[in-house]
Amino acid sequence: MELFSYSLRKLATGIPLIIGVTLVSFLLMVYFGPDKTFELVGKNPTQEQIDEIRAQLGYDQPMVVRYLDYLREIVTLDFGNSESTGERINALLARTIPVSIAVALPGFILGNLLGVGLGLLAAFYRGRWPDKMIMGSAAIGMSISFLIVIIAFQIILSSSYGLNLFPVRGWSVDSFGDYVSYVTVPTLATVFVALGYNTRFYRSVIVEETTRDHVRTARAFGVPSLQLYCKLILKNCLIPIITRIMFSIPFVVISGSLLIESYFGIPGIGKVTYDAIITGDQPILKAVVALTAIMLVVVQLLTDIMYRWVDPRVSLK
Amino acid sequence: MNAAAEELDPVGLSDAAPESLWTKGLYKFRRDRVGMWSFAVVLLYVGIALGVWLGFWATGWADLAGGKWEPVSGAHWFGTNIIGQDIFDRAIYSTKTSFEVGLVVAVLATALGAILGAIAGFFSGSWLDELILWLMGVLDSIPFLLFVAAIAYTLQSIPEISKYSMHIAMIVTFWITAGRLVRGEVIKLKEMEYVDAAHALGVPEYTIIFRHILPNTAHILLVQATITFVAAIKSEVILSFLGLGVKDSMSWGLMISESSQEVLAGFFNNFLAASVLLFGLVMAFNLFSDALQDALDPRTVAD
Amino acid sequence: MAEPLLRVRDLAIEFDTQYGTVRAVDGVSFDIYPEETVGLVGESGCGKTVTGLSLLGLIPKPPGRIAAGSIEFGGRDLATASEEELRTIRGSEISMIFQEPMTALNPVFTIGNQMADVLARHKGLTDSQARTEAIEMLGRVGIPSPARRVDEYPHQLSGGQRQRVMIAMALSCNPKLLIADEPTTALDVTTQAQVLEQINKLQEEFRMAVILITHDLGVVAETCQRALVMYCGKVAEQAPIEELFAQPRHPYTAGLLSSIPRIREDRPEHLPIIAGRVPDLLHLPAGCRFAARCERALDRCQTEQPELGEKTASAACFNPVPV
Ligand SMILES: Nc1ncnc2c1ncn2[C@@H]1O[C@H](COP(=O)(O)OP(=O)(O)OP(=O)(O)O)[C@@H](O)[C@H]1O
Ligand SMILES: [Mg+2]
Repeated sequence: MELFSYSLRKLATGIPLIIGVTLVSFLLMVYFGPDKTFELVGKNPTQEQIDEIRAQLGYDQPMVVRYLDYLREIVTLDFGNSESTGERINALLARTIPVSIAVALPGFILGNLLGVGLGLLAAFYRGRWPDKMIMGSAAIGMSISFLIVIIAFQIILSSSYGLNLFPVRGWSVDSFGDYVSYVTVPTLATVFVALGYNTRFYRSVIVEETTRDHVRTARAFGVPSLQLYCKLILKNCLIPIITRIMFSIPFVVISGSLLIESYFGIPGIGKVTYDAIITGDQPILKAVVALTAIMLVVVQLLTDIMYRWVDPRVSLK
Repeated sequence: MNAAAEELDPVGLSDAAPESLWTKGLYKFRRDRVGMWSFAVVLLYVGIALGVWLGFWATGWADLAGGKWEPVSGAHWFGTNIIGQDIFDRAIYSTKTSFEVGLVVAVLATALGAILGAIAGFFSGSWLDELILWLMGVLDSIPFLLFVAAIAYTLQSIPEISKYSMHIAMIVTFWITAGRLVRGEVIKLKEMEYVDAAHALGVPEYTIIFRHILPNTAHILLVQATITFVAAIKSEVILSFLGLGVKDSMSWGLMISESSQEVLAGFFNNFLAASVLLFGLVMAFNLFSDALQDALDPRTVAD
Repeated sequence: MAEPLLRVRDLAIEFDTQYGTVRAVDGVSFDIYPEETVGLVGESGCGKTVTGLSLLGLIPKPPGRIAAGSIEFGGRDLATASEEELRTIRGSEISMIFQEPMTALNPVFTIGNQMADVLARHKGLTDSQARTEAIEMLGRVGIPSPARRVDEYPHQLSGGQRQRVMIAMALSCNPKLLIADEPTTALDVTTQAQVLEQINKLQEEFRMAVILITHDLGVVAETCQRALVMYCGKVAEQAPIEELFAQPRHPYTAGLLSSIPRIREDRPEHLPIIAGRVPDLLHLPAGCRFAARCERALDRCQTEQPELGEKTASAACFNPVPV
């Protein structure tokens, strides 16, 4: 009950954020955005045809009404139809989001797990050669553009100039074997790019924690290193770790894999978003923006609840 | 003396030698070999970019100088691209593009962050602070690429600035980190005695903020600017590749975009030229930025 | 006298700093006998904590290290012992409690959990045995309703209670030596007295030796049999309490004592403070480290370093305060 009322209050405090995000995006994309009337009407249109199209697009309404319409769409979670394909946006989302999750999830999990692992290792050997090697590699990894990584991995793993092990691009998944063969290269690229940043972040969090007094106490009572790092220190670091992971989820799910998906031609929400950007398909863009904002608010709530879970000092007020 | 204070100043040097943060920073930086080397590499790139800007070299980046996909030769150091343009010239020219994007975005985003962050921090708790925080939250929550696209739409009708829509989008999103950092620092600094003293003397608030407090965050801003620079040139590459970035010019992102078909046909020159130059600059700048941070950070606990 | 429990000889501890290597502790020697309480006093930064930490091999390295000397304990040299060996000693034969009770406990585990962990490791108890034992120990250090408190987190306890928990944890494996690093500095005055009393009481019950690190000479006077006075990484003077307070030999000790108001009978207008400042560790003088601040300094003090004698009451001084 306490949790429930807390959640309601927390979600309510997310409303200004949702309003802000949608308002800014609406103003930029719709209010100042391109007028699509003449793309849709045929040649030499009559005034009636023009008016009809404008009415269809909602252009005849004042902006306030159109924004309120947008808010209504958000509240009812019904975003209308795509302008370019006419597909219902909810159906489109239901079709593409699972693909995006399937593409992004392995890399996301691996990238964070390995990041924490390497961060622990580097922090444990702080200042000595394993630390220097890990952090040196991280610095190199962070300096290679995502784009270059994707192309290089594609050449090395999927092209006839390299190992030619995986499909070059696309996504036709009918079995787990297909899944593995299509997801491997995107996953490796994602992990490669994320690992440098993650390791660096996690190492600094862990190193910071090792300077705390309670770590000295633990050592003064004979706690072995493995237990010290993997249990005592790690549990104390969970708040920044959880924060980092949770807050990247909305972007990963909604648009984070945009580059991967459009490069590899994977029909996920990222590619849909990219296509919508290129064609100016406003209903899709509006849906994506709104969903990201809503997810952020939800994630914020979940993160708060998780904080209490991992840190007894945090209470839900 | 508590543990934290000991970490700050284990041997009581601050009293023994009252050096300023900057003198100390310079001393530390000069002894950081990686930092010095990376700085030298950055300067080399600056030289290349300046040369392009002054028209010393790479003037022929758009000329059709040879045949399709010519291999490396004395005339074309990196070969030629699909329509016979010199890849070396294009790669060199792109250095200038990168610096343009990086500098413009880094300077303006950091300045914007400094101003808004300082105001928010100084009036922390007031409606102005709430408003700026809300703005940060909002801008942080719009997916970056969508935001770039949205800005591009908006500016479409104004051709003089529409080619800068990428720059504007980056500035409007990248100031936030600087803003948060400065806000936090200003909240700490405004409790200092000299601020009270200035208040008591009747110095106007904006003078206090911008003349007395903000300069004390300069080391944070400098480091943040270098980080923003790197972020900007990396984003430029991806945005240009996606068709949302540089237009009517040349950039490593556009070269990589050109090359994404070529590599599948076995021609790697374009890709390699752009990648290697980009990597060199980003790596050097990252290391430089790290060294700067180490040198200017009064507490180097985390390393 | 009995065999010493701990015999420290010529201990030197160095830290690498960005401006060069500093010797935070330089040639410190002392003995600790079973069941005695020894005060380790000195100004901030003189190397008390570092000395205490070194006895358990807890000097953070890098940047620190034991550069020279030996720490004999139970037939072993702790200065060169392996991490493995040290680990079996920490918390079981030698325990240490720290200055900051607010942060010394792990905030995300219950105090019972943290105590049981120590018991399970060193005494091989099962979880439920360890828990029972933890509750009993909490009772013995004066925590009310320990059976309930055992499941609480550190932030739910007051500073004094946390320090008691630390003491309970430190004593739970019957150590032969307790190093208490300013255990009461962070507490308010009444709590300070209670905690000190508790330590004293438990010391008798557990028959252990205590090294009490403090810069409060009043505390030393009340609780210790002997004291070591440190100055700038060296032991300036060691003596039994009565002697030390009645007739300090080292001018530094004399200065310290005269700066405590309640020990003096007359009440001067101004507290006498020792003029000058502690030399910084990077630029140490060639001679006695106290010479620059010393009223009794001779020419010799500027060039030669005085040694501490082997006797139980001795001062490292060429021109000690006459008896
Ligand atoms: N991690 C470290 N790195 C560098 N120098 C250190 C470190 N820890 C301690 N020192 C040096 O060792 C010296 C002694 O420190 P120590 O903490 O032992 O002093 P202390 O006598 O316990 O002082 P206090 O009364 O303030 O606790 C200090 O001057 C400090 O410069
Ligand atoms: Mg200390």
